[in-house]
Amino acid sequence: MSGALAKLSLGEWDDRYAQLKRNGFREPDYGGPLGRHLARERDFRLQSLRFDSSPAALRLWNFLLTENQRLRQARAKGDKIVGTMKDLGTVPVMAYSLPGVRAFYPDGAWWTPCLMEGSDRLLQQAESMGIDASFCPVRAMLPAFQNGEHFPRPDLLICSSGAVCDDFSAIAQRLEHFGHAILWWEMPRRRPPGLGEISCALPGKLAAPKIQVDCVRTELQRLAEALGGLVGQTLDDDRLAEGIHAANRVRRVLGSLRRTVYFAPAAPLPALEMLVTEMLAIHFCSDREETLAVSEELLAEAQARVAKRQFVTTSSTVRIYWVNPVADLRAMNLLEDLGGRLCGSDYMFTHALDLIPEDVPPLDALARTALADPMVGPTSERAARIVRDCRAGRAEALVISRIPGASHCAREGEIIRETVRQELGIPTVEIEVASVCDALLPTLGTRLQALVETARARRKV
Amino acid sequence: MEVFLTSPWIPAEWIRAHGLEPRAIWSAPQFWSRTFPLSAGVCAFAEAAVKFSGVRSDAAVVFTTTCDQLRRGFDASLLNGGGRTNFLFNLPVVWQSPIAKELYRSELDRLGQFLLELGGHPVTPEGLRRELLRYAEIRKRLRAAAPSSSARQFAEAVASFQWEGAFSSAPAAAPGKTVSLAIVGGPFCSAHWPLLEVLEAAGGRVVLNATESGERSLCPSCEFAADNDEPFEVLLNGYFGGIVDVFPRPNTRLYTWLRPRLRSREVRGIVLWHFTGCDLWRAEAPSLREAFGLPVLLLEAEEAPGASPRAVNRLQAFVETLK
Repeated sequence: MSGALAKLSLGEWDDRYAQLKRNGFREPDYGGPLGRHLARERDFRLQSLRFDSSPAALRLWNFLLTENQRLRQARAKGDKIVGTMKDLGTVPVMAYSLPGVRAFYPDGAWWTPCLMEGSDRLLQQAESMGIDASFCPVRAMLPAFQNGEHFPRPDLLICSSGAVCDDFSAIAQRLEHFGHAILWWEMPRRRPPGLGEISCALPGKLAAPKIQVDCVRTELQRLAEALGGLVGQTLDDDRLAEGIHAANRVRRVLGSLRRTVYFAPAAPLPALEMLVTEMLAIHFCSDREETLAVSEELLAEAQARVAKRQFVTTSSTVRIYWVNPVADLRAMNLLEDLGGRLCGSDYMFTHALDLIPEDVPPLDALARTALADPMVGPTSERAARIVRDCRAGRAEALVISRIPGASHCAREGEIIRETVRQELGIPTVEIEVASVCDALLPTLGTRLQALVETARARRKV
Repeated sequence: MEVFLTSPWIPAEWIRAHGLEPRAIWSAPQFWSRTFPLSAGVCAFAEAAVKFSGVRSDAAVVFTTTCDQLRRGFDASLLNGGGRTNFLFNLPVVWQSPIAKELYRSELDRLGQFLLELGGHPVTPEGLRRELLRYAEIRKRLRAAAPSSSARQFAEAVASFQWEGAFSSAPAAAPGKTVSLAIVGGPFCSAHWPLLEVLEAAGGRVVLNATESGERSLCPSCEFAADNDEPFEVLLNGYFGGIVDVFPRPNTRLYTWLRPRLRSREVRGIVLWHFTGCDLWRAEAPSLREAFGLPVLLLEAEEAPGASPRAVNRLQAFVETLK
């Protein structure tokens, strides 16, 4: 194995970009040097990140960072914009089954304070709107809706409710108090089938009673009618089946990418780019076809690197399983700086990565997928999957990244850690990552370093 | 067997019709007898319920899905060995959806099955009807007494109803020149009742107890319109239609219920009672302020039982500013 591939700073990437262009590099219409996002969008955080050096990674970042701009272009073209909130992965599959509809998650605004290093002042504005720092950073969504400076105001706003996190539910309700009409839909808390109940298999080796699948399917039917009504077309089974098939193409590629990267002897792609890529699964970053192309290019890059034994970490780095997304992207760089690498992840949307069943009626399949959401079921089931994935990825340690203020984090972290300790005996640590974590970097670093050292010490044992 | 309920939206009549004893968990003497060591962000009420279910293995505890804390508290209680006697009731949230009522119905069926497994007996229509009529009558009397009752004694009367299904009258409040207040929010346990006296000593009076254990919990109205009404349907309609809380989406019924009561009782300020980590209630503070044009004081339940000096101070200052 050669030495680890170097990651690039923003400035280094712009130099590399110029070189690539001189050599005839071609890219999609949203392409360009990464540095322009700093100048145009004030994405200051890019200056603190270290990026993968591949053109595939450049395409990924440009795709991510142009989403709001692409949404506005789509609207100008006459597309309808659907804001879908909280379910993380299911409703967008329905929306993209219709021509002329783009769906996105306003929830994604939670990364804006990170990217803009707080210069957007969204968190302060949220506070002035009554949602203070005791709520999770997704509160940035609230002023973003009001000021319209980030994402376009949706033509239809859909939000799952029920067994969802309280922060989000509370913030969405506040949004409705501000006059934004919301189409709420019920997501029951998933439970194992009881004695005498008909059991339905769900993605992710889960099961739920048929009555719950029926309930969610009925709710999704209601959403299908609303989505169809938005564009004056019927969202029927044929369209949904095509939409599911297309979504599964993306999920298959992402599944291959995860296996290629997480099971390799060292990391062929960095943790940061993997986090961003996995996020594409939930709503295709507002462009399903391009998500597929971006993911395929990353997969090809990862496979080529594995074949050439080129990695961004060394083989001695500690294999870490990561739970929950980080509010500050920089934390993923930090993990690798301290001698860790990802060997698996659960960013709260594993159901958006699992294949949607194609052997049952489409709405039934989507209902099963929605119910497989790790956040709507028992924490023990989420923990069981994490244990399985840790085994598959030969995890040496587990990190639970606590989301500041998130109500679900108060208890689930300890349950997951306890389960992992009992089942695998590997060291675990819980960290909390703020939207801009610079002030906490020494503490975060110390905790991660202690974890890495503990895991290394166990190798000798 | 005693069945402890963590929400007023689980029908006590349904438990009693199975021959078991429904109890509001916040009224249990052992419920809040000590300070719990809490991890950051854990709700003290949910933690007390988890601990209580661990201690009272001779009883059952019904958790609900209305918030993250209780939902995951139930998960934690299972890890503590409460699998056989703990139950998680899925309370539907999107009440305007046609599926929500059916979900509530199916959860009542499932709860009934659980109660049978605990040793309850099958429900007879006559038995359920009898309990519904009795509870409806008590609720009606308590609701009628609410506006004029002494706040502390009204809280005690509701607690007595939620503990043993009995009516005890609350004496009328002594007339006086006081600032009329509403207390709105989550469960207000007996350990917190001294705060009502603190308010009165400061010159205020709670004329509307809209906490989860107060007048708001008396909303379910299980009335028989005709002799041949099916008791289970009366129960279902009465409860499903009577959930007035912060968690339904949208939560307009809470505001619709509060508005006439705040107006008719000439409320001058709202105390928003919430537990640490209770996002659902905390987030309503600005909306309550905007909707009713009243000052709102956020009052956070302390982890220790009783009235903390901080809470006393805040309440005194609030009343003083409204005088």
